[in-house]
Amino acid sequence: MSTSGFTRRQFLRVSALAGGGLLVACGGGGGGGGGSNPNNPQPPGNGGPSDAEQFTVSEFMRIGSDGRIHILVGASEIGQGALTSMPMIVAEELDADWDLVTAEHSPVAARFNNPYFGGLLQFTVASATTRGYFDNQRQVGAAVRQMLVNAAAERWQVSADSLRTERGVVYDDLNGRSASYGELAESAANQPVPSNPPLKDPASYRIIGQSKQRKDAAEKVNGTHLYGIDVDIPDMLTAVIARPPRFFGQALSVDSNAAMAVPGVREVHTIPSGVAVVADDYWSAEKGRQALEVSWNELLAGRTDSNDTRDEYSFKLNLPGVPIRVDGLVPVAQLAAAENRSADYFFPFQAHAAMEPLNVTVDYTGSKADIWTGSQSPTLDKTFASLILGLLPNQITFHTMSSGGGFGRRGNPLADYVRDACHVAKASQKPVKVMWTREDDMKGGYYRPAAAVRVGASMDNQGNITAWTHRAVTQDVTASLYAEELLDTLAEGQLPPFKELTDLETGMPYDIDNVLMDAHLTLKPQMPSLWMRSVNKFTDVFAQETFIDDIAVSYSRDPYQYRRGMLASKPRLLAVLDAAAQAANWGSTGGGRSQGIAVLNHWMSYVAQVVELSVSDDKVITLHRIVSAIDVGTAINPDLVVAQVESAVIFALTSVFYGEIELQDGVVQQSNFDDYKMLRMFQVPQIDTVVLPSNESPGGVGELGVPALGPALANAIFAATGEKIRELPLKNLGYTLAEQHPA
Amino acid sequence: MFTIRVNGEDHTVDVPADKPLLWVLREDLKLTGSKYGCGQALCGACTVHVDDQPTRSCVMPISAAEGHNITTVEAIDQQQIGRLVQQAWQELNVPQCGYCQSGQVMAATALLTENRSPSDRDIDEAMSGNICRCGTYARIRKAIHKIADEQL
Ligand code: FES
Ligand code: FES
Repeated sequence: MSTSGFTRRQFLRVSALAGGGLLVACGGGGGGGGGSNPNNPQPPGNGGPSDAEQFTVSEFMRIGSDGRIHILVGASEIGQGALTSMPMIVAEELDADWDLVTAEHSPVAARFNNPYFGGLLQFTVASATTRGYFDNQRQVGAAVRQMLVNAAAERWQVSADSLRTERGVVYDDLNGRSASYGELAESAANQPVPSNPPLKDPASYRIIGQSKQRKDAAEKVNGTHLYGIDVDIPDMLTAVIARPPRFFGQALSVDSNAAMAVPGVREVHTIPSGVAVVADDYWSAEKGRQALEVSWNELLAGRTDSNDTRDEYSFKLNLPGVPIRVDGLVPVAQLAAAENRSADYFFPFQAHAAMEPLNVTVDYTGSKADIWTGSQSPTLDKTFASLILGLLPNQITFHTMSSGGGFGRRGNPLADYVRDACHVAKASQKPVKVMWTREDDMKGGYYRPAAAVRVGASMDNQGNITAWTHRAVTQDVTASLYAEELLDTLAEGQLPPFKELTDLETGMPYDIDNVLMDAHLTLKPQMPSLWMRSVNKFTDVFAQETFIDDIAVSYSRDPYQYRRGMLASKPRLLAVLDAAAQAANWGSTGGGRSQGIAVLNHWMSYVAQVVELSVSDDKVITLHRIVSAIDVGTAINPDLVVAQVESAVIFALTSVFYGEIELQDGVVQQSNFDDYKMLRMFQVPQIDTVVLPSNESPGGVGELGVPALGPALANAIFAATGEKIRELPLKNLGYTLAEQHPA
Repeated sequence: MFTIRVNGEDHTVDVPADKPLLWVLREDLKLTGSKYGCGQALCGACTVHVDDQPTRSCVMPISAAEGHNITTVEAIDQQQIGRLVQQAWQELNVPQCGYCQSGQVMAATALLTENRSPSDRDIDEAMSGNICRCGTYARIRKAIHKIADEQL
């Protein structure tokens, strides 16, 4: 979004006090403590609180004398609408005129860290943006509103309590006066910052809960919205990197003569991850790379093989793992059961394949640097950049650009692509954009890790489940963090709680007395893996929810009613289950159509999904309708919440039908959208989303629609054909998708 | 040296004959609205109009673009249907990350220019070359129908 033309003098300088103060309230420690952090200097002389009060005062928003309000957002815009929904929260408590509000990404600074991650990071993952920032954004808005009211009270010599605010104006109804926020901004800046401003009753919200148009919509349809890949700075060169065929191979010898002979190619540099060809433009760099001759040392390179991984994981399913959840006495229940059964599942590696391939632009001059990139993890990106460039964090300006999709790939705590670019910039000493082609991006690793799951259930002779077991085998996507001593690089000397990101507890929600869940987290340092939209829920919930149908059907129970019977103690889950079944006309389909249903509670949100389809004899699936019912607590912008669910449905369908990265002896087999397919327009069915009204705290939304979709679909296939789906993707089982729309 | 006509203006560029139109637009003419997504005519992010036909600029060498009228997303609002598409996209909150949307807007504008009341099948045919990883397909379909039903 555009930066406004405000000059500093016109602004109300508003505190991030609520941000700093919130860290304390969250029990996250003094991570926001201002004075000691060079990256977050205490601006002098603006009447802010002292260090001792554990919060910082800095620019957070600007109110121009024309009443325009510009808000800096600490979360990254990756398509989910952060640059719209975050300002909505502030504007609500501020009683701003929404039409006058604009927003952009904040600088990378501690005061913009997400409280959800202990206030240690700006980190847009785990569906944690609204959940993390909600209270803090409200407090900032409320504090500034109070300052504006106090300024008006002082000007008019009346009590602040006699004034009210609406749409960017303070009203003195008794005396028939009013003043706009713009008029009051300058004097409001001199008001003390209230420490505990009153927050609104949700009943009086007028912005939160409204389906507002995205603030970035206009720029995103006329080509002016800038992504990292669009950054253009004077004298910029463009680089591509030749990488080893296997992960973590090293360049042994490089013959750059042919590459250097390509017109436009300027430099060739060997960096830790490969060999960079630096040229005047992308096309020359790419041709130079093709002409480059590199022999690789693969002694330490990764040799992961998809088939071997599957064998290894299948074997590990037989061994007890680390307990994650233990309720009751599973072995006793198993002995007493009328029936015990289990099923094994296998899931492949998958690539995020965001639409904008990775890219980073670095302008490094030796004593300072500017970095531009779409990132979900700017704090850690900047930290690594400073290590590689040998600069202090305050010598680096990190420009968080809008991301052309992220899905977790741009939230790599190891900052792989930023590190690469910094190595290139350091070697080149010139402004450089490092571009990844689609093939680079597809083959670049940091995939959703492969996983195996074994679920087991014990039933009495009525088919009631008396014990449940769930064992997952997958790769620990955070292990490398600890290995790389990331710890030391964080000023606070502690990692934020990644618990929820790596939490293998599936949230198995059913009322079952005896539960044993355990896991094997494998370490594969040579196989870069990472979280991908909904992380392990994608695999664990698939196994859990399809196995429930397996049991229900064999005891002649309706899968919807069977779940109902086990959710009596989970009213919010029950409500979405009922809402989805009702919206989908559960059980009343005809004409060879079948339905499947599945549920999930995670990220403080609830979802039930119904897939309706038919399957031909030759395994061609026609999707007819997909219904999702969700309870996300307070929905800040309901239309964007629905958009996220629609997005998740498509994302999950792609994963379930096509999603597979295959490795053969360490070499990735896929390269572009021809062999790593995406769902396309002609395959998209009717998608309906029901949002249950709620005033509860906001839950996460971005990932919510992914995990239950696969099992709902598999359950519908099971209902249609009797085939139990125990591995993904469906293309490997002979299923294809039909065209949806007859002529 | 190649001279191409983009958005009604002639531009002369000194680039190799095989440099794709997409990169000439983005790097030499600084028109970054057209996006790179795959470089292989697989995703549609780079869609521009060449003599009003939606075309994948990532696989069109500059040498083949000479003598043609090229329109990019930056100038699509010069066409009434282009403007309607942009408005409907905004009203329905179509864009998410937005990265594919220049290409979607160009493809939809070409479709509606050709066919003022497209069926679902027509939409499938015209729009299935454009991948949206954010999954905005349902809204794109709705927006196209809305324009056709209410404005054309
Ligand atoms: S970039 Fe041209 S079709 Fe994908
Ligand atoms: S809006 Fe993100 S790829 Fe289409």
